Amino acid sequence: MTTDPYTRIARMLRATALAVAATALALVVCVAGPSGPAGATSYVPVTGDGSSWSAGALDQWIADVHADGIQINYTSDGSTTGRNNFITGQSDFAASDIPFQTNPGDGSAPEHPQAGSYAYMPITAGGTVFMYNLKINGQRVTNLRLSGANITKIFTGAISNWDDPALAADNPGLQLPNQSIVPVVRSDGSGTSFEFTQWMISQNPGLWNSYCSKAGRAPACGSTSFYPTVTGMIAQNGDLGVASYVSQAFASGSIGYVNYYYALASHFPVVQLLNSAGYYTEPTPQNVAVSLLQDKVDTTDVNNPALYLTQQLQGVYTDPDPRTYPLSSYGYLILPTKVGSSFSTAKGSTLAAFAYYSMCQGQQQSAALGYSPMPINLVEASFAQIAKIPGANVQSINIQGCNNPTFTPTGVNLLAQTAPYPPACDKQGPTQCTTGTGGAVAVVTPVSRTSTAGPSSTTATGAAGAAGAAAASTAAGGGTAGSSSAATSQTCDPTTGACTPTSGSTGSADPSLAPTAETATLATATGWSTTQTLLLLIGLVLLALMLVPGLMSRRLERKRSP
Amino acid sequence: MTTVTPGFGRTVAHTAPQGSDQRPRRQLVDTKAPAEKAFLGLTRGSALVVLAVIALVGIFLTIKAVPALKVAKFSFLTTQAWQPDIHRFGIAGIMTGTILIALVAVVIAVPVALGLALYITEVAPARIKRTLVSLVDLMAAVPSVVYGLWALLFLQGRVVGVSRWIATWFGWIPLFHVNGADPSNPVQSGTLYSASTFIVGIAVSLMVIPILCSVMRETFSQAPLGEREGAYALGATRWGMIRSVVLPFGKGGIIGGTMLGLGRALGETIVVILIISPVYNANLHILQSGGNSVSGLIANLYSESSAFGTSALMAAGLALFALTLTINFAASAVVARSRSGAESDA
Repeated sequence: MTTDPYTRIARMLRATALAVAATALALVVCVAGPSGPAGATSYVPVTGDGSSWSAGALDQWIADVHADGIQINYTSDGSTTGRNNFITGQSDFAASDIPFQTNPGDGSAPEHPQAGSYAYMPITAGGTVFMYNLKINGQRVTNLRLSGANITKIFTGAISNWDDPALAADNPGLQLPNQSIVPVVRSDGSGTSFEFTQWMISQNPGLWNSYCSKAGRAPACGSTSFYPTVTGMIAQNGDLGVASYVSQAFASGSIGYVNYYYALASHFPVVQLLNSAGYYTEPTPQNVAVSLLQDKVDTTDVNNPALYLTQQLQGVYTDPDPRTYPLSSYGYLILPTKVGSSFSTAKGSTLAAFAYYSMCQGQQQSAALGYSPMPINLVEASFAQIAKIPGANVQSINIQGCNNPTFTPTGVNLLAQTAPYPPACDKQGPTQCTTGTGGAVAVVTPVSRTSTAGPSSTTATGAAGAAGAAAASTAAGGGTAGSSSAATSQTCDPTTGACTPTSGSTGSADPSLAPTAETATLATATGWSTTQTLLLLIGLVLLALMLVPGLMSRRLERKRSP
Repeated sequence: MTTVTPGFGRTVAHTAPQGSDQRPRRQLVDTKAPAEKAFLGLTRGSALVVLAVIALVGIFLTIKAVPALKVAKFSFLTTQAWQPDIHRFGIAGIMTGTILIALVAVVIAVPVALGLALYITEVAPARIKRTLVSLVDLMAAVPSVVYGLWALLFLQGRVVGVSRWIATWFGWIPLFHVNGADPSNPVQSGTLYSASTFIVGIAVSLMVIPILCSVMRETFSQAPLGEREGAYALGATRWGMIRSVVLPFGKGGIIGGTMLGLGRALGETIVVILIISPVYNANLHILQSGGNSVSGLIANLYSESSAFGTSALMAAGLALFALTLTINFAASAVVARSRSGAESDA
C-alpha cells in the first residue's frame, strides 16, 4: 500500500460511517416491518426457553411449523431458567415441567410472576426414565429392573455398588458386576429434578431426608429443582448433558434421569421401574397414557391461573394398574396473557398458531418421539388457554380432525384403553424378561433363568427401535406397539390383564452359561452408524481423488507460468 | 488486558546535531494537521476508554456485590458451599477449583508453547515457519465452545485412561489421589476420572497455547543478532546459542506470556460448563470428577438465580476480577523489571 495513512484512515472512517448508517436503516426497516397489521399469515419470531424434558417434542414441532413461516426460537436451558426469563420478560413464553414456585420448600427464593400475566398449558406427556450404561462381561445390559426404593437408594448414595444384594433381588436373572454406581444428576435448575425428588419424598421420605442432611441442605429438604450432590455423583447440564454423559463409552456404571426421548435418541436402555401392581414397566406412550389417567389435573377454577391445569402426581405413584409407569407426568408451556415490554399481539398471534399446531397435529408425532399424545379433555382445555394469548387468532378446530391417537368419539382415552398389559416375565418374582428397553429394544440381554419372553419374534418386532414403537402407537392398533408387544400377545390377556406363563417358561438354564450366551444385536439398527461413516469417507476420498490432481496441476502451472 | 511487548529497550540515544551556533535556531512551530489532531484525539480517547471501562466494571461489580458481601462478610472467603438463598455461600471451594484449572492449563501449555515458539523462531525453515504461524493463529481463532464440545465428546473418553494410569502409579501424591479408585478392579468404570479438573485443564491449555506462543515468539525473534553471531563465533551449538542468548533474552516474554495465559485460563467459561461436574467444596484431587470455576459458576447459575443469588454471583465475579487484575499487574511488573536482554549482556 502506498497511500498515506491519513487518507486511508479517512477512507476507513467514511466506510465505517456508511456501514453504520446502512445498519441503522436496516434496523429501522426491521422494527417498522412487523408493526404493520398482524394478518393471519404474517408471523414474527417468538422466543422461549425452559424445560429440556419437553424439548424433544417442542423442537420437532418448531421444525414442522417453520415451513409455514412460523419462527419459534426455543432454548432448552432448564425449567428454572425458563420461568425466570419469563418473569423478567427476557422471553415471550416458557416451557416448564412444574408451576411457578411461589412457596419453595428447598430454601430457594420464591418466584413471583406478575399477576394475570400467564396461563399454564400442558403440552407433552411423558416419562422420566433412568438411562444407564452397564455391561456384564462386555455385554450391554438392556433389561435392568429396579424398585422405587432402590432407585431412591441409588440416587441418595445408600446403594453404591451394582452388586448390592438389594439390586439382585430386582434382577434375579442378572449377575450384576462389582462396579461402583455413578448417579448422574442435573447441575442446572430442572423441573425433572423437582418431580423426581417429589416422588422420592412421597415414596421414601426417610431415605431422602437423611440424604438431604448429608448433602448439607437440611432443614430445607422439600422437592428441589437443584439436585444436591455428594462426592461420587456427576452433575451435568440439561437432559442432553446427562444423556450424553451416560452414553459415553467410559461412563460404564453410570445411571442418570432424563426424559424417555433422550434414551431413545441415544439408543440406550432405560430402567424398568416397579409399579404398585408389582410389574416392572417402562414409559411407552401407552403406559404413560394409562398412568396419567390418575394424574389429577386441576380444573376447578379457569380464572385462577396459578392452579388451573396444574397436576397432582400422587395418584400416579400408587396406581394399581399393572401398565402404569410411576414417573409419568405432563410438561407445560407457560403462555403470556398480557402484552408487555417485548411481547406484542403480533407475537401472540404467532405463538398461538404454534400452540394450536402443537396441541392438534403435533400430538400425532408425540409417540414417535417417546412422548405420549395428550388426552382429549386436556387438548380442549388447552385450546381455551391458547385463546387467552393476546393477539391469538382463535381457531375453531374440529378436534376429531387432529388425528390424535388417544381420541374416540366417546371421549375415552383410546391409547390407554388399548395399552397392552406387561408380560408375565416383567412381574416381580424369579423370572426376568430378556428383551431390551428404551432405545435398545433390539438388544437382548441373556438371563441366567430364562423366562417367558425373548423368543425370536420379540426381538424382530423391537428391532425398529423408537420408530417401531412410534409407528405402531400412532396407528393406535390394538396393543401391537412397543417393546413388550410380542411377548404380551403370547402370555397375557389384553382385556383382563391376566398373565399366564407359557409352559416350560421357567425352566432354568445353567446359570454359569448365561453371561456367555450369544449376543442378539440385530443388524437392523436404523440411523447413522459406522457403516454410514465409512461410506461417507469413501465418498469423500473418491471426490478428492477426482478433484485434487486437477486443482494441483493448475496451481503448479500458475506458479510456473509467470 | 495488558499487552506485553518486551524487547524494545534498545533505542539509540541521538545526540543533538553539532551545528555552528552562528545562525539563530529555527523556531519550530508545531502546526498539526487536522487529521493528525483527530488521530491523536482518537488514540488518546481509546486509551482512556479502556481505563474507564475497567474502572466501571470494577465499580459495577462492587456495587452489585455489596448486598451479598454485607450478609456473608468474611465467611465469603472461607465457606465451601453455594446456597445464597439460605445465606450459606462462599468462594473458598470455587476459587480453589478456578486456580487449579488454570494451573493445570498453564503447566501443560508452557512447555508446548515454549518449544513451539523456539522451533518457529530458531529452527523451522521459512516455509514451515509461515504455515506454523498461521496455524497457531488459527488455533487462537477457534471459538472456545468448539474446544469445549471436542473435549466433551472426544477428548474426555480418551483422557480417562491417562488419568487412571496417573492415579494408579502416582496416587500417593495427594494432588493425583482419586478417592474410591481401585486399580485391582478390572471392571471399574472411568466415571471416577471423568468431568475432572484435569480434563478441563487440558482443554483450556489448548486455548492458552496460542497466546503464550505468540508472546514468546515475539520476544525470541528480537534476540539481538550480534549476540547470536557472537555465540556462534565462540563455537556454540544451536542449542548452546539458544541457551545462552535467546532464552535469557526472552525470559521476560516467557514469564509475561505465562501470566497472561494464566489470566485467560482463570476466566475460561464454556469448557468448564460443558465438561465439569460442578461441586462447591474444594476438590484438591485434580483427576477426580468434580470441580468448578468462578466463571463456570456464574454462567451456570446466573439465569436461574434470585436477586440475592445474583448479588452473590457478582461478589464471586468481583473476586475473580481482582485476582485476574493482580495477576496481570504482576505480569507487567515482572516483564518491566527483568528487561529482556539484560542478562545476555554479561
